Amino acid sequence: MLLTDYLLSATEQQPDKQALLYGSRSFTYLDLFTVAHGVASWLNEFHFEPGFRGALLSDDAFEYITAYFGILLAGGVVVGLNTQTSDAGLAYVLNDCGASVLFAAAKFNRYLKNALPRVPSLKALVTSVQQQEQTVPATCMVQDFATLGTYPHQGSNSLPFRSSSDFAQIIYTSGTTGKPKGAVLRHANLMANTTSIVSYLDLHSSDRVMAVLPFFYSYGNSVLLTHLAVGASLVVNQSFLYPNVILQQMADYEVTGFSGVPSTFAILLNRSAIASYSFPHLRYLTQAGAAMSPDLARRLKQVFPTAKIYIMYGQTEACARLAYLDPDEIERKPGSIGKGIPGVELTLRDTMGKMVSVGETGEIVARGENIMAGYWNRPEETGEVLRPEGLWTGDLARSDEEGFLYIVSRKSDLIKSGSHRIGPKEIEDVLAEHPAVHEAAVIGIPDEILDERIRACVVLRPESCCTEKELQMHCKKLLPQYKVPHEVVFMSDLPKTTTGKIKKNELRPTEIAR
Amino acid sequence: MQANKEKIRAFIFSNFLFDAEESALSNDTSFLEQGIIDSTGVLELVEWLEETFAIKVEDEELIPVNLDSVDQLAQFIVRKTA
Repeated sequence: MLLTDYLLSATEQQPDKQALLYGSRSFTYLDLFTVAHGVASWLNEFHFEPGFRGALLSDDAFEYITAYFGILLAGGVVVGLNTQTSDAGLAYVLNDCGASVLFAAAKFNRYLKNALPRVPSLKALVTSVQQQEQTVPATCMVQDFATLGTYPHQGSNSLPFRSSSDFAQIIYTSGTTGKPKGAVLRHANLMANTTSIVSYLDLHSSDRVMAVLPFFYSYGNSVLLTHLAVGASLVVNQSFLYPNVILQQMADYEVTGFSGVPSTFAILLNRSAIASYSFPHLRYLTQAGAAMSPDLARRLKQVFPTAKIYIMYGQTEACARLAYLDPDEIERKPGSIGKGIPGVELTLRDTMGKMVSVGETGEIVARGENIMAGYWNRPEETGEVLRPEGLWTGDLARSDEEGFLYIVSRKSDLIKSGSHRIGPKEIEDVLAEHPAVHEAAVIGIPDEILDERIRACVVLRPESCCTEKELQMHCKKLLPQYKVPHEVVFMSDLPKTTTGKIKKNELRPTEIAR
Repeated sequence: MQANKEKIRAFIFSNFLFDAEESALSNDTSFLEQGIIDSTGVLELVEWLEETFAIKVEDEELIPVNLDSVDQLAQFIVRKTA
């Protein structure tokens, strides 16, 4: 079995079933398969080595999904790119994974002019329209995406043979110490996780999920795969700009499922007209990214009385999911992330690898078929997290006497802001490039909606002058919007250890006068 | 209405587009389509509207037809202050 069998099987069993609905458009499973096969046939003519990397920069769900499966059918590895990017950020990821082909929606062409000349591995660019004025390296051919749907299909036998142990996908995840790194996931990893999630959510082909999370993130990718695996329907609207539009679609399409992060539910409950809607068909809500407070769970239950609420926990390195809290336990185990999902064993260990006792804090270590193969071209960082005991998650937790887990803190400085995981080092490096900045430390501070806001604590050079706005503008030039600090605090000095390491914990609790 | 459009443009540039060229934003450009504002940016925009124009934006009014471009915002302010 391969991931592509999800699409093949659903198409064989129910070719005319609506697989994808968004905006005013809808597509059947046969539509998805036809275009995916066209993409694969076109890619196959390049005779790329099996395992070539095909990158996706698109917020168009149809393009994304068909290119995703087209790349897999052609024996490639999918690299979904964050659409909130920058010229430098795009070039970095394309180079890091050695992408051979890039599928880019036309609206992102503004990044390509500067980024593509810096990516020598790229042999082909697929856009949704021909951009004649686009500066593309001479070694890179340009193909119109619209032509691929009717591209002459090659028989399945002419497509490369792949096995479940082959790499299927690389998902980039923020690192605390520098640039993003790619978690390499095999077909078998993703399928094991998909099977487990389908089982505990009890998903069926009759389900229709409201998919608001971007597919390039692990969570959104998991929502996509689990629902295609059972032949269900996806109602896609990945812009959460106007939550009332989402609510209207949920009602119109009678969705049965909805997946979000804490900020999704905070926005729905605090800044939408949710009270004026009813969702009698909704049977499950999933939240990952943090435990849910009993108060929030109660409020959600009031507006979604028919829905079971699943609190989930996971990591990109585990294809998405590691633990979930049974909906029936939410009131009895408030604040818990539950227990390991089917097929995953979770233990809590001290720094020496020894399992800790009930009630003691230890790092969550995971074993299961869903654990990644490693980080792309990063053996050292792979070795730090993939050890004989399993995947060391960097999350510290304790368990109660019944085995329910409670996150205590993160070992890393990773900032969780909305659906993003943000490494502070990248922002600190950009701030340090500003001529007025002596040094900077970036931290997350609690936020009612976002979970965490980005705060930059900055020390200016002697006799230098700079405003908060100037530093935000500087960051905006070099970073995507979601990494621009929400606020800048100017300080005379940063607290440090005797070895010179910045004591970020001392920056967090104190409210410094701005 | 023109004065309000200038105020709105100044806010959008100051908070989301920073030092981009004036031509980067037409008054009918969709914030959603062009990815100019994200979901929390909309909340900041609403807060600014309420403070600057002394209006109360109801939850039901958080829809594209009211908020998704400079033109739509200017018309929304006219309706709210009429």
